[in-house]
Amino acid sequence: MPAGIPYEDAHKRYRPGVMPTVRSDDGSVDELLKGYHPDHGPNARVVLSVGVNRGEPCQPDLARYLQANALIDDVDIAGAQLVTTDVLVIGGGGGGCAAALIAAKQGTRVILATKLRLGDSNTVMAEGGIQAAVGDDDSPQLHFEDTLRAGHFCGVPELVAQMVMDGPDVIRWLIRLGMMFDLEEDRPIGGNLLRKKPGGASAARILSYRDYTGLEMMRVLREAVDLDPGIEVWNRCPVVELLSDEWGRCAGAVIYNLEWRTFVLVRARAVILATGGAGRLHLNSFPTSNHYGATADGLVLAYRIGARVRELDSFQYHPTGIAYPPHLAGGLISEAARSAGAKLINGKGERFVDELKPRDVVASAILRECAQGRGIEREGQIGVFLDTPTLEMEHPGILAKRLVTLRHLAHKCGHDAAQEPFLVYPTLHYQNGGVAIDKDGATSVPGLYCVGEVTGGFHGRNRLMGNALLDILSMGRRAGTKAAELGGRVMASRAGIGHVHAWQRELTLAGLPLHVKAPRLFPDYAHFDLRVDAGLHSSARG
Amino acid sequence: MVCLSIEGRQIEAPANCSILQAFVHAGETLVEGVGCMGQGVCGSCRVMVRRSGEQEVKTALACETLIEDGMQVAFLDYFTTSARHVYRIEDIGDSWQALHTIGEIFPEASHCRHCSGCDRACPKGLDVQRGVNLAVEGKLGASSEVFDECVMCNLCTLACPDHIRPNHLGLFVRRMIAALSLRPANLMRRIQQIESGEMTIDFDAPGAQPPR
Repeated sequence: MPAGIPYEDAHKRYRPGVMPTVRSDDGSVDELLKGYHPDHGPNARVVLSVGVNRGEPCQPDLARYLQANALIDDVDIAGAQLVTTDVLVIGGGGGGCAAALIAAKQGTRVILATKLRLGDSNTVMAEGGIQAAVGDDDSPQLHFEDTLRAGHFCGVPELVAQMVMDGPDVIRWLIRLGMMFDLEEDRPIGGNLLRKKPGGASAARILSYRDYTGLEMMRVLREAVDLDPGIEVWNRCPVVELLSDEWGRCAGAVIYNLEWRTFVLVRARAVILATGGAGRLHLNSFPTSNHYGATADGLVLAYRIGARVRELDSFQYHPTGIAYPPHLAGGLISEAARSAGAKLINGKGERFVDELKPRDVVASAILRECAQGRGIEREGQIGVFLDTPTLEMEHPGILAKRLVTLRHLAHKCGHDAAQEPFLVYPTLHYQNGGVAIDKDGATSVPGLYCVGEVTGGFHGRNRLMGNALLDILSMGRRAGTKAAELGGRVMASRAGIGHVHAWQRELTLAGLPLHVKAPRLFPDYAHFDLRVDAGLHSSARG
Repeated sequence: MVCLSIEGRQIEAPANCSILQAFVHAGETLVEGVGCMGQGVCGSCRVMVRRSGEQEVKTALACETLIEDGMQVAFLDYFTTSARHVYRIEDIGDSWQALHTIGEIFPEASHCRHCSGCDRACPKGLDVQRGVNLAVEGKLGASSEVFDECVMCNLCTLACPDHIRPNHLGLFVRRMIAALSLRPANLMRRIQQIESGEMTIDFDAPGAQPPR
């Protein structure tokens, strides 16, 4: 990467309140994406050599973990405690909570196991909002078309259609649970929900609660789950393997209790994976906006037991991650800022992209500016300006009233958002693809359901702002409903990790190493080793 | 480099690190008391902090607090209290009974002894005690505003000598207000259009086809 323009020079050139010149766009969107987006280029993908998707492309860092050996073997779980339940939900974010609440409401016994603490998830960090087509100038049809188009027509139309039609009912469900939303004016009955326009959409469709929609959503869902007598919450209990039966069904999971340092076998009629994304694997060495637990655990386990995956060579890099100061690098500046009108400015004082284009386009444009030497360099960090002072001048009071989180964030960065622009650079934000599911969240493995970021098919190869919060709740409720309806005895079959042994044979045949193990559970810098923590001898095979 | 003590261990880390980053930087294992890692919204990384030269021990979020020389830090484990009052927001039907309901679900709330322990404990600087008192007086709107930026870290619940659980009371008030009074016109209208079959999805519409 060529050196950028020194911050001091760029800052001298920067004039708040003055409309910057616009750099003429010298290429097509397609060329921009192909030239600068990390999903493209010679090192963007490898071909999977084992599993259901053998022969298909995958992001290289992720492929290493998808094609890894299991963390445990038969001997490690011999004598482990056995627990039974009707539905086992893995993951304590919005999707897992929605699934658990709906399943419990139908009278089934639910265990919700989560690696960190209930609510620790990307959901709680979501700022911008949730999409639902409620405006007079809007319709589910427009939402449907916008979502497909933004995803480069790689999404599954049936899944997208179901999600957008669920939208308004999902909002009603949230309000019934006690979630607040911003209104056009302060008139709760008969007023209108405030709508904002997300980048890449044809109508204002973002519903929000200030700029911490996810926090408002998650504290309501977390409390509802916590108070539900039908749901048993297991905090600090990551899943380390799934259980399979003699017919290849998913029959439960192996949970590791971080507090007791022991394994627990949970048998269930249905397992719902709601484990989120992969940001903390820092794919392509990018910083990430994701929470600490986003290490693709569910994705790895679903693939190993035989679930089909899709679009795993496509990730979303959010255009506006913090670039400076370094200790906050990767942290997110919500799209709400651009949605409200904030502009991006390069080191030459120019605008270089329509800030409300889809995220992949805006992120690529920033990467282009930096690659071509028009980025801004400050103490080794490179990026472009996000012009919040001009936004405040144009809409006095907006930072204090509507962009509260942004203002707090500027404070943490050591500046006043009304006086100084942010330095931003794209940050790894979202896993566009994932486990392939049907309209009930069912995977290609009977008994195994997936919800939320771990799945693929909604967002194609690029996601619109606000569609993730909708997707987790729409599918969370549906998977919870379906899982609760399943009949049969929990212990009707024999369960074990037979699929792991088959997998190890496949790895060996493909010449892949057995010492690479996954799921990772925690980022590398967590300094955690499951086998050491659990007091296990290192595996003879390893 | 900044020198401080975390969990009784002497640690060195570059200046401008948060407590969490310093802990990780020093090679310590971090698998609990961590969540959003910097955004300050999950409330998981609760710590007690004593700064150099100060007597008082303060509570804070480790992801939001920058390290200082001579700082002493201890993590506060998450906790769940077993005895508590369970409710379902769907079962609360009559908003005229709001005060009665609050009294039933949070009987301790009216016992506030105005010690301000909750205020001191709050890492977000919210007027927690005022929020509790407002709720008991029936000033529900004002109470809900106090808890607007609450991240549910439970530090006020931990601090309250009368077992009031202020953040849970605040959340209850907020949920009750939304569930009982939020009826947006555009949302109700759109739900009606979808449920009546007036609005459907046309898979063959030109806008749903990839460009050639």
